[in-house]
Amino acid sequence: MSLYPAFARPRDLGQAADIMGGLSTGAMIIAGGQEVMPSVNYGALMPEVYIDVGQISALKGIAEEDDGIHIGSSTVHRDVQDSEVIQSKIPLLSYAAAQIGGGMQVHNRGTIGGNIVSMHPLYDILPSLLALGAEFDVLRGDGETRVALADLMRDASHGLGSESLLVRIHLKPMTPGAGWSYEKLKITAGGYGSANAAAIVTLDGDKITSLRVVVGAVSALPIDISDALGGCRGQAWSDHLAEEIEEKASAEISEPLSDHQGDGDWRRAMAGVMARRAVEAAVEKAG
Amino acid sequence: MGEQKSETEGYVGQSVRTIEGRAPVMGKATYTNDINFPGQLHAHILRSPHAAANIQSIDTSGAEKVAGVVRVVTGAQAAEHIDPIPHYIDPAVFGGRSASIRCLALDHVWCFGQPVAVVVAEDKRTARYAASRIVVDYEVTTPVIDSEDALKDDAPMVVPGWDANMIMQVPFGGGDVAQAFSSADRVIKTDVKVHRFSTQPIETRTYNGVYDAGTDSVTLYGTVQNPHPLRNVLSKILRMPENKIRVHAPVIGGAFGMKMHGHPEEGLVCFLSKLIGQPVKWVEDREECLLIGAREQVHSVELAVTKDGTILGLKDHYLANTGAPSSCPGWGMAFLTGLTMPGPYAVTNLDVQLSAVVTNKPGWNASRGYGKEVTALALELSVDNAARELGIDPVDMRMRNFIKKDQFPYDSPTGLIYDSGDYAGVMQKALDAIGYDEWKVKQEKAREEGRYLGIGVGFELTPEGGTLPGTFVAGYDSSTVRVAPDGSVRVLTGVTTPGSGNPTGIAQIVADELGVRLNTIEVVQGDTTTCPYGFGNSSGRSTIVGGGSAAKAAIEVREKIIKVAAALMEVDEESVSMKDGIIASGDKTIDLEEVCYACYTRAYDVGSVIEPPLEATAMFKPGLVRHTPNEKGQINPYPSYSNAAYVAISEVDVNTGEVKLLKFSVAHDCGNVINPILVEGQACGAIMFGIGAAMAENITFDENGRQLTKNFMDYVMPRIGDVPSIDLSHHDSPNPVNYKGLKGAGEAGVGGSAAAIVNSVNNALTPFGVMMTETPLTAPRVWSAIQAAKKAQPQRKVA
Repeated sequence: MSLYPAFARPRDLGQAADIMGGLSTGAMIIAGGQEVMPSVNYGALMPEVYIDVGQISALKGIAEEDDGIHIGSSTVHRDVQDSEVIQSKIPLLSYAAAQIGGGMQVHNRGTIGGNIVSMHPLYDILPSLLALGAEFDVLRGDGETRVALADLMRDASHGLGSESLLVRIHLKPMTPGAGWSYEKLKITAGGYGSANAAAIVTLDGDKITSLRVVVGAVSALPIDISDALGGCRGQAWSDHLAEEIEEKASAEISEPLSDHQGDGDWRRAMAGVMARRAVEAAVEKAG
Repeated sequence: MGEQKSETEGYVGQSVRTIEGRAPVMGKATYTNDINFPGQLHAHILRSPHAAANIQSIDTSGAEKVAGVVRVVTGAQAAEHIDPIPHYIDPAVFGGRSASIRCLALDHVWCFGQPVAVVVAEDKRTARYAASRIVVDYEVTTPVIDSEDALKDDAPMVVPGWDANMIMQVPFGGGDVAQAFSSADRVIKTDVKVHRFSTQPIETRTYNGVYDAGTDSVTLYGTVQNPHPLRNVLSKILRMPENKIRVHAPVIGGAFGMKMHGHPEEGLVCFLSKLIGQPVKWVEDREECLLIGAREQVHSVELAVTKDGTILGLKDHYLANTGAPSSCPGWGMAFLTGLTMPGPYAVTNLDVQLSAVVTNKPGWNASRGYGKEVTALALELSVDNAARELGIDPVDMRMRNFIKKDQFPYDSPTGLIYDSGDYAGVMQKALDAIGYDEWKVKQEKAREEGRYLGIGVGFELTPEGGTLPGTFVAGYDSSTVRVAPDGSVRVLTGVTTPGSGNPTGIAQIVADELGVRLNTIEVVQGDTTTCPYGFGNSSGRSTIVGGGSAAKAAIEVREKIIKVAAALMEVDEESVSMKDGIIASGDKTIDLEEVCYACYTRAYDVGSVIEPPLEATAMFKPGLVRHTPNEKGQINPYPSYSNAAYVAISEVDVNTGEVKLLKFSVAHDCGNVINPILVEGQACGAIMFGIGAAMAENITFDENGRQLTKNFMDYVMPRIGDVPSIDLSHHDSPNPVNYKGLKGAGEAGVGGSAAAIVNSVNNALTPFGVMMTETPLTAPRVWSAIQAAKKAQPQRKVA
């Protein structure tokens, strides 16, 4: 907590690692500022040092490499939405990035990395990334390590820790022909989402061959319910299957959020409704 | 500024662009927070984290050590210099309990967020940080949160020393209620619970106190709706005469009643500036703005009806949870709710009783609708419930019970005198605009497809221009019209604008009455030193009394100009006309500027026919008000009764509880319209309020009375994407006694539109038997109601 914060602007990842390693707690990494600045203005955060990573070119941009697609952590939402690579290879992510609230300003300033590291239960990016099997390159003092998002979220600390910097996100292109959907329940234009679901489905004829479903905004972190819906494989879409998905998805939410967006019973039920709608829409698109 | 009027007609009745609107749109307007003075200091207020507690001790030493802190003041220290805040509407004047309200708590806090101490520092951040270093030792006591709990025998007292948690209990009504209820075919009861919601101007409250040692006087620059009355309040708090105090209200970014005074911070910054000898500013943050409550009421409406839907009698004993006592005029809203019963309906047998309860929630301030919106909600939800019970169309039930247009002026059972109206005509216009019967067909078709469309109507009667005896809620106001030697016009008026456009309406009136072009008129408002004494903005009054008084003053000035013009042209006064700044007699014309210059400079020859300067001050006091009680002790505080009908079409997603508005219509009667686009803007704004009220805006508390709603993530106001297209029509029945037949257009519509939405949702869910009468209808609540109905009626085939 400081009235007179210092400001550091590392030019490359090496400098960033040095600065982070040399500081005690109270340092705050800032990129687009869409998460940090409202809290500072509100008085909830008073960092000792701001580490502005917005000028590090290694954190920016989208590249298609042999091992998949890399997205720099300070790539803004607008670029994720507009990227031809993302639109053609990972359309689910491009679409989810367009569902982020807050309007044009947030889309132009906010970064995918900021959205991820805040680990906010109501945000839009994590469910899709989890469904897509994203991996992260994380910089700590001793160098970069690669960690799967799924593993990170099993960690009780739910995050990277203040000594780490999210460098880039690794994604595999989606299977050609896979159907996908991101369904977001947002009750008023100005509100946050109350429940969401990301789904990726592949079909053989009309039978489901693979299914990944993640529900978000209903518990502290998004929940991958793909295993619970494993029984859907081999089935064609039907009203009966829809009901089954809805019931099973709801049943997976053991500790629903209860907040201004709505109470726990409703959130649990909405997890089911969103999962059902997401799978239905994905099935429709598949093939 | 654009001149959009037609050649032949005057400005009144035309949708001219606002003369004051350009600056805010361009980002050029000067708001209170844009004003800074040399040596400007900033205050941060430490507020109680508890709903009820005794203050054992306060240690300010930690804050005082922070570099940049100038002064830290506690309630006890402040009380040595300043007195309690006089009430805007003192309950004691009306026979109620009145609490002493201080700018900073003394030894006891009665709500979350109550100011306890203040830090003044060189900048805002330092003040906020230092405030976190103040240590207050609280002895926390049990709070009372709910209005029903507050009235229990063993309830703790919110105000130490009171014998009940009640400001006052007031009966309204008359007729033979017992007879009406015993002769009715049915008595249909509807419990209507209206939640706590407020208004949220984008510009929060801001005050800058500036003490001048040379004259021992203080100026308050602030977000103030009523500068002159506040000056009197400040004089009592500061122990200074009114002639040593100036209140100046710059451009206001929305007010809606919230910037009516009585707030602790108004007197506090003036006191601190005097104490320190430097200007002291305080800017409210959003969390603080959300502390100001309103509207939370519990109604139990019983309608005694015949089979065909005629209402014979109405009973409603209701509770208003007004929170902790406040000097602001908020509590009066609860009174108006009862006074406005039974709204537009010709019900003479009425037994309504208000219990204005105090609790340990933060207090209220005035909010658009001023209680009349709750009357509309209570009545309109009850009528819909009754219509459903009786199996008749809700519109038919209203049409059957409306006061007829030939019954005006109409004496209401609560003592009001309704000036004019055509309620059935207004309702019909709103129905025709939206195509009521066509939507019924669409609804049937949609149900066959498993979609649930709803059609809801609501009506709101909104008495306007209110005045209460013995308070600064005054019915009249005054304006000065000055014409300079160059012919330009300045109107100084006692009414203020919250940003609603009334300066343009007043200028249109003056342009026509004086005979000048609109773009030569400047309207000056909001300053106790330059403007004539006035009561500012409230109760839809600004154009009624500001416009009425300015018109009278303009007529006086015009006479002077005509006299001198006649002398200059050497013609008869009667032959001289003046329009659009052109003075003519027969085929002779003369420039306005030439005449005005002569009025000022030729006082001993052609100008001697008048008394210069070209200036007049006039007062306008509407009729119909009756402050002398009738035989039942009732008064009529209102000269005019605006009204409007609303129709909402919604679609409910029965899987999620989501409500989408598809279409909206409103027909509005505010008397003659000075500027249609301004009236329509206000009506659309009120519908936005109604949408927020019906569906989302909600101020909530935990079980200890700590407020949970802190920002716009929690308090979700509608965005433009939530608003359907709105069909707006005017249906004017002019007020018989007001200037131009005006009735007031700025306030109406929050309750009527909210009621239409609630009714549309219930209408959509008729197949489930759902009837929700507790606001807001959030998606989780709608979903729960559907689930409960499904469980209760499993045999019914739905969805």
